[in-house]
Amino acid sequence: MEALRNKARELLAAGTVKVVIGYGRGSGGAARAVFIRDAARSGALIYDDSCRQNLAVYLMKPEVRRLGKAALVASPATLRTVLQLAAENQVPEGGLLLLAPAGGEVAVLAELSAVEARVAAQDQDLGRAEREELARYEAMTLEQRRDFWQEQFARCIKCYACRAACPLCYCARCTVECNQPQWIPVPAHDLGNLEWNVMRAMHLAGRCVDCGDCSRACPAGIPLHLLNRRLIAVVRESFAVQAGRSAKSDNALSTFKPDDPEDFIR
Amino acid sequence: MARIGVFVCHCGENISATVDVARVASEAAKIPGVVHSVDYKYMCSDPGQQLVKAAIQEKGLTGVVVAACSPRMHEPTFRRACAEAGLNPFLCEMANIREHCSWVHEKGEATTHKAIDIVRTLVAKVKKNRALQPIKVPVTKTALVLGGGIAGIQAALDIANAGHKVILVEKEPSIGGHMSQLSETFPTLDCSQCILTPRMVEVAQHPNITLHSYSELEGLDGFIGNFKARIRRKARSLDEKLCTGCGLCTQKCPLRRIPSEFDAGLGLRPAIYVPFPQAVPNKPVIDREHCTYYRTGKCRLCEKVCPTQAIRFDQPDEIVEADVGAVVVATGFDIKHADFFPEYGYGKYKDVIDGLQFERLASASGPTLGEIRRPSDGKVPETVAFIACAGSRDPAKGIEYCSKICCMYTAKHAMLYRHKVHHGRPVVFYMDIRAGGKMYEEFVRRAMEEDGVQYVRGRVSRIYERGGKLVVKGADTLLGARPVELEADLVVLATAGVAQPGAEDLAQRLHVSYDAHRFYAEAHPKLRPVETNTAGIFLAGACQAPKDIPESVAQASGAAAKVGALFSQSELVREPLIAVVDRQAPPVYSSCSGCFLCQGACPYQAIKREEIRGRDGQLIKTVAKVNPGLCQGCGTCVALCRSKSIDIQGYSHEQVYSEVLALLNRGERDG
Repeated sequence: MEALRNKARELLAAGTVKVVIGYGRGSGGAARAVFIRDAARSGALIYDDSCRQNLAVYLMKPEVRRLGKAALVASPATLRTVLQLAAENQVPEGGLLLLAPAGGEVAVLAELSAVEARVAAQDQDLGRAEREELARYEAMTLEQRRDFWQEQFARCIKCYACRAACPLCYCARCTVECNQPQWIPVPAHDLGNLEWNVMRAMHLAGRCVDCGDCSRACPAGIPLHLLNRRLIAVVRESFAVQAGRSAKSDNALSTFKPDDPEDFIR
Repeated sequence: MARIGVFVCHCGENISATVDVARVASEAAKIPGVVHSVDYKYMCSDPGQQLVKAAIQEKGLTGVVVAACSPRMHEPTFRRACAEAGLNPFLCEMANIREHCSWVHEKGEATTHKAIDIVRTLVAKVKKNRALQPIKVPVTKTALVLGGGIAGIQAALDIANAGHKVILVEKEPSIGGHMSQLSETFPTLDCSQCILTPRMVEVAQHPNITLHSYSELEGLDGFIGNFKARIRRKARSLDEKLCTGCGLCTQKCPLRRIPSEFDAGLGLRPAIYVPFPQAVPNKPVIDREHCTYYRTGKCRLCEKVCPTQAIRFDQPDEIVEADVGAVVVATGFDIKHADFFPEYGYGKYKDVIDGLQFERLASASGPTLGEIRRPSDGKVPETVAFIACAGSRDPAKGIEYCSKICCMYTAKHAMLYRHKVHHGRPVVFYMDIRAGGKMYEEFVRRAMEEDGVQYVRGRVSRIYERGGKLVVKGADTLLGARPVELEADLVVLATAGVAQPGAEDLAQRLHVSYDAHRFYAEAHPKLRPVETNTAGIFLAGACQAPKDIPESVAQASGAAAKVGALFSQSELVREPLIAVVDRQAPPVYSSCSGCFLCQGACPYQAIKREEIRGRDGQLIKTVAKVNPGLCQGCGTCVALCRSKSIDIQGYSHEQVYSEVLALLNRGERDG
């Protein structure tokens, strides 16, 4: 933690970055995002198991962008997010520093290729509990899945916290806000809830890096990450690509390779 | 307030036999916004169009729905009629109640209801239509012709004679293609080279044609009227300006053991060579793969003997860039090399040859100077078996299609053999004889009746050697499938015509589609046979499907006519039914967030990046921009865009949505 604070102090004092986006202690002992612009306040930074939010979400906010060049405290999921954002032309090369803490040290990553190398070196497999959760879900029949989601979505209050938490939901105007025509009904009823949640998941197909912030943000406790994880598995099986591995766009749903397996077309 | 006119066509009986057209018209009149609704026997006729024009003027219509056939048939007719009456043509829509309704359903209540629903959706759509203006694109009046066979030569000459510049690219050292390898041509038996070489010379001398031989297309960017081609001129290893084509180098080259491509492997050539005496251009190339100097660093004999010091061993490939307005693809075909038929022994027995090799044996410029001598021992064969459909029409082992030219050239081969070996016995094994074409059937009959060619209907199962003879085993299906065994001295396989080995790669460079056999796909099999689905790229010759010379030439002239039509104006007018990226008031400017995932999805490379800058030049955001010249309005980007920032003019989200709503909200209607 001390190494992280020192690095932040150093970067801010030297003027290398204008803001360090990291975790600080919030109310009730919870970790919250902090935006440190003054080197003297670097001591507020923390990094421990409570720091789970994907801070890359702030990179996409115009008010944060206006602060100037940022250094971002990056968990493994955040590193993947930054690569995917770069693949979607949202992060310019060299426009960002990433502070990746690991074992008391802090790696400073300036180049996307360095981020790629670090992501490649990390263990990307799901944990045992997560694997079992996905396996339980995949074991359901289509009817069971439909019933499962209808039950889950019945609790959705359309607060769009999942959208706000997701660093890849950065559109200047979300489809849900289009009203000429109105694609997704506004009220939180069964049809509107289903359409919104399915659309959210489909818009992340081939893009989601599985940070899990959608589920963490959901006040109704809907396991939204299950939809995304299943899509990640389908995209990986069908196209042998996974988002958040490379800063080059090889988006599964918008690129075509002559040797793509086409066994899903029958 | 919308003032829509609905015009219901009977199409003779095509529609009125199953749809109650009068009822469609009276029901349409009840739809809110419809102020005029009539039916008429032939709406596309002149009086029918007059009905539309008069209603526009008298009733001040703001939109027109013609309930008739597919928009692919008469949409242009009615849009022109609307324009003549002063209504923007894009405020006219076709409700397809023929292909989508009357032709596919029985007469009955439900059929009429469906027709009414179709009209209802189009009325809802046309209310949201906006007046659109055609797009104008400049045209570069230079054509790129890929392939210097007979099709490419014909297309290049026709375009050049129309007064336009042509860049002709040929991958081999000389133009001429397969036709230059042929001995005589059916059905007239005139010498192939005698009719081809004047055309080749004309290409070389034409002031409008720039020839890049021994060159290949590296890449093609841009769009109709405005392509940018990159051409790789492979190093000939000599200075073409200094070389006089004297041929001394090719005579002195000590390496003479390389199988000649031109002689289909039957003859030999040196490492520095001109493929054939009438080559255009008549300049040698060094085959770097075989040349002793490139392999061992020694020799350089050609350099020593060259009187003009033209040899350049270190010459690099050269990349030439050119702006062109249209492309004619005439890259030709290949034959399926018969090694996939092990039971016919091709490659195992020297005297089992393919059709192209027989052409070289029969040709005066070939390895035997036109005498029919078999490759193994040079003897004149007494009996020759010709096997048609060697690979063609064989879904199990070869290809399922008919290669089309083999019946004719097999008859020609058998005749040529008889003309040269009077006592010889030609036997043709065939499945069917397909001789459709002017003077073709007569030609085959002449082979049978005047030249005594024996035709045996049946497939050959096996060929093997026995005592210096090739035993051809088959069956005669006209004699009750009686087994046939023939001892032949030479066997000629009419192997299938297939696409060029690099056809797929080139198609991807050109962004044109191709079929399962890698032949290039035409835009419509009947009505647009020389166009591809990519505007400005046309097809000629056997790269599209196996073809004979007259067909290749006809298609080449067709492609040239299309290019001529394109080049007849300095600006190209296109329908504005294209994708557009939205613009919004500041501070959003555009709802596009610039992820550019649409860029990869666009099959036409129509999406570029556009920087939105403030008055001070400060970059505000980078968004997608659709090039109106390239966009074909396919809508792939529209479906992909998460924020719905791209819309297709004429098929906007709003229009399609209101069509769907019109169906869902049709309300309390009976049934």
